[in-house]
Amino acid sequence: MVVFSSKYKINLRVRKRKILLSWNIETKILSNTLTMRKTFFLLCFLTCIIPQLNAQQPGAGELVINLSAISGMQFDVVRFNVKPGVKVRINFTNTDDMSHNFLVTKPGTRLDVVNQALKLEEKGPEMNYIPKSADVLWSIPVVSINQSATLTFQAPSQTGAYPYVCTYPGHGFIMYGVMYVTNESTMPDLKTDLNIPPARREEKSVPSAQSASMSADPNAKTHHANHPYENVPPFFYRIFMDDSGPASIAVNLPQGISYCWDTGSCRLRYAWSGGFLDNSAIWKGHIDANAKILGPIFYRENSEFPIVIGNIDEVPEAKFKGYKLIDKYPEFHYQLNGIDVYELIKPKEDGNGIVRNFRIPNAGSTVWFSSKSTNGSEVYTTSAGTLIDGKVKLSPQEARQFTVTMTNYSLLFNTRRKR
Amino acid sequence: MNNKLIAALLFTFLICNRIALAQTVAGSAYSVQNIQMPQGLMAETGGLAFLPDGRLAACFIRGEVMLYTPETKEWKVFASGLHEPLGILAVNKSEFIVMQRPELTRIKDTDGDGVADLYETLTDDFGISGNYHEFNYGPVQDANGNLYIALNTASQGGSVRPEVRGKLNPLGRDMSKGIYEMYSVVPYRGWVMKLPVGSDKLQPFASGMRSPNGMGFDLKGNLFVTDNQSDWVETSTLYHVKEGKFYGHPASLIWQKGWEGKNPFTSPVADLDKIRTKAAVLFPQGVMANSPSQPLCDITQGKFGPFAGQLFVGEMNRDRIVRVMLETVAGELQGSCIPFIDGRGLRKGNNRLAFAPDGSLWVGQIAFGWAGDQGIQRIVFNGNQPADVQMMNLTKTGFDITFTQPVDKTQALNPGNYNFRHYYYKYQRKAKNAGADNTDQQDVKTIAVKKVTVSPDGRKVSLVLGELKPGYVYELKLGDITTAKGQPLDNKLICYTLNNLLP
Repeated sequence: MVVFSSKYKINLRVRKRKILLSWNIETKILSNTLTMRKTFFLLCFLTCIIPQLNAQQPGAGELVINLSAISGMQFDVVRFNVKPGVKVRINFTNTDDMSHNFLVTKPGTRLDVVNQALKLEEKGPEMNYIPKSADVLWSIPVVSINQSATLTFQAPSQTGAYPYVCTYPGHGFIMYGVMYVTNESTMPDLKTDLNIPPARREEKSVPSAQSASMSADPNAKTHHANHPYENVPPFFYRIFMDDSGPASIAVNLPQGISYCWDTGSCRLRYAWSGGFLDNSAIWKGHIDANAKILGPIFYRENSEFPIVIGNIDEVPEAKFKGYKLIDKYPEFHYQLNGIDVYELIKPKEDGNGIVRNFRIPNAGSTVWFSSKSTNGSEVYTTSAGTLIDGKVKLSPQEARQFTVTMTNYSLLFNTRRKR
Repeated sequence: MNNKLIAALLFTFLICNRIALAQTVAGSAYSVQNIQMPQGLMAETGGLAFLPDGRLAACFIRGEVMLYTPETKEWKVFASGLHEPLGILAVNKSEFIVMQRPELTRIKDTDGDGVADLYETLTDDFGISGNYHEFNYGPVQDANGNLYIALNTASQGGSVRPEVRGKLNPLGRDMSKGIYEMYSVVPYRGWVMKLPVGSDKLQPFASGMRSPNGMGFDLKGNLFVTDNQSDWVETSTLYHVKEGKFYGHPASLIWQKGWEGKNPFTSPVADLDKIRTKAAVLFPQGVMANSPSQPLCDITQGKFGPFAGQLFVGEMNRDRIVRVMLETVAGELQGSCIPFIDGRGLRKGNNRLAFAPDGSLWVGQIAFGWAGDQGIQRIVFNGNQPADVQMMNLTKTGFDITFTQPVDKTQALNPGNYNFRHYYYKYQRKAKNAGADNTDQQDVKTIAVKKVTVSPDGRKVSLVLGELKPGYVYELKLGDITTAKGQPLDNKLICYTLNNLLP
């Protein structure tokens, strides 16, 4: 028995009197939203394990399957096997935020039954979207969230792959699983099992589980396979990023350098080396997720206002105006108290830092640049201006075009770094 | 990852082929064609727009704007890197306006190489909490050039980010009773917003939306927005949106002037009901549509068949496009919905619609973690007159049904061929454990047809009903009525939303 906490009880329990090898997985979810997140990860964890479990039993006894409807219109248990004629008890719990029913159909008839349910039209609601059909062997009517229902039946004497499915309108195309009635103790290879949804044919079968456990692989090139073109640096995504505002742009530069720029506060947030992004969690949709950076962060901007025009003590109001692509590099355009500022970031030619190219055509008064860096491994040089108390002071004339180059010695000294 | 996508696509194709084979009918009025998508594209379609030269612009959830030339079947990349673009408006062949997560953006090709190089922020004057469900819809443009967008509320299935945009107001979420309700804790989530010509300042326009995944104008300049059912409004809706009106989901009210500091969730339901504007058309849940998407007016003047001026609405959860027939009763628009196409090779996930200059209807599909599909299809009018309901009008005593063709008079005169039920949907705070897509029809009752008359040309049937009650959906299931030539009706289920009786 494994007990995770007082709220979530997971029993991997053996029914002693009946069968030694029968797995019984019981998931009790309490209706406490504050802990939904935990619950979700727990479910994800379970989902990783459950598809691999083969419920086995001798010819007699009862097979108990604890099966839940989970977020993303899926059943947590996507398949199980049972010997012909064995009594099966399905304890069905709806842990999703939508309504679901549960039908077991004759082999090969799932899609027909799903389409028959759609054809019920005005009769659908009162019939719980369960069509009157000889193809429907057993069913549980619509179950509301956090409610449970039980179904018991005797497994068919005929061996075969018996689909189970939710026929709530639209759900049945993606929300299904399979009961293998078989004398064998094994099931087909999960990866090639056409009786389960395509997304479940991998071991890590739920989107969030994948993102939560995915290790940062600097060599991952996931982004290349996801577009009708090859992404060649520089390129970028506007996407949700960790440690930045909700309106952010992640840019992949040549030399294995990437950075995150926040269009809300109009500033660079951080830069990293190695690979770019893994967007797989966010691209699955229907879930809070961020892009994962695939390498170590070597720079974080400490200054909330790296550029100040005029009074250095004044908090400028920043307004994002967009960007122009110059040799495919985005040049950000924003306004500080109404004054136009342009910023284009390139990698240092030797790959050991970044070069920030600024243009402020009409500053009107003194311009200050401050990184507020306290990190000794970062060394700054500027193309213009004078250094005063760690800040670069530029005349309006000098601010028309200037660069700030940041060399990072952790990159420079890392001779094993591949670019 | 890629293998998985391919597997998913293959699977989809297998299903679709099967349906297509089963349902192809010779002489049918409409047929559905698949558009070949470029290799490597995850074709989760966020927006469709046609250029006058016949090229299609489409945006996809992973950030691409692609241009398609129907003659050559060639796809070209116009823009990339966008954040969940869910709507596109063509300005000209080198300029588009795209609604993405963080902002409304003008995207231009300024150097004439066919690829966008300038991305101008038209407005980012609204909040983002980072909750996955805060999708942004639109833009649509009125005759004066003003733009309108709609902002989805946040889902209880997600939280907010550590950094949000806009001032967070926790009153927009009820954490006691309403933990399963959609919420609005950053400015103007749940609102339709207007961007006046030449301004970058968004104006709040109308409130009370939950998931308004569809906007469109009709030929008379009326703005329509579809909304998804769930908490408060029990079944999905088509709203005729007017400035200053509230349409039912209370979360958005915290951004309404006069509601400062008040908790809309604890306002008595009766009070909220009094200030809300009801839907012009209800889409009965589980019957007509579960997740209606974009309403598109038939601007083709007959090129797409006999439904000029009516609205087509995509449905996400099944292989269906719904048709909407509106009329003005007591000064307000109300009317009915009927399936337009079921099956015939149409996929589910029908998210975006656009008419090509040749009059064909293009449909873009999406799933993005919900029930849906990927890709783009094209519905073509074959020139054969459909056997369908042209229009349903309320009368003082019942309804007039006009058909696209004369119908068999003997069948049409049989009252047994008109099965009416009425029911209504409660405006209510959803019970805690009721599923997000669970809906209860109230006071379901069979309504007797007392008298049937048929017009001399056989196209119009006048029905006298035993009872007409405002506030109810009148659901009509047609029986075995064929055209005078013996052609069976294409669609037999019509739901009329009776808000007002004729004065």
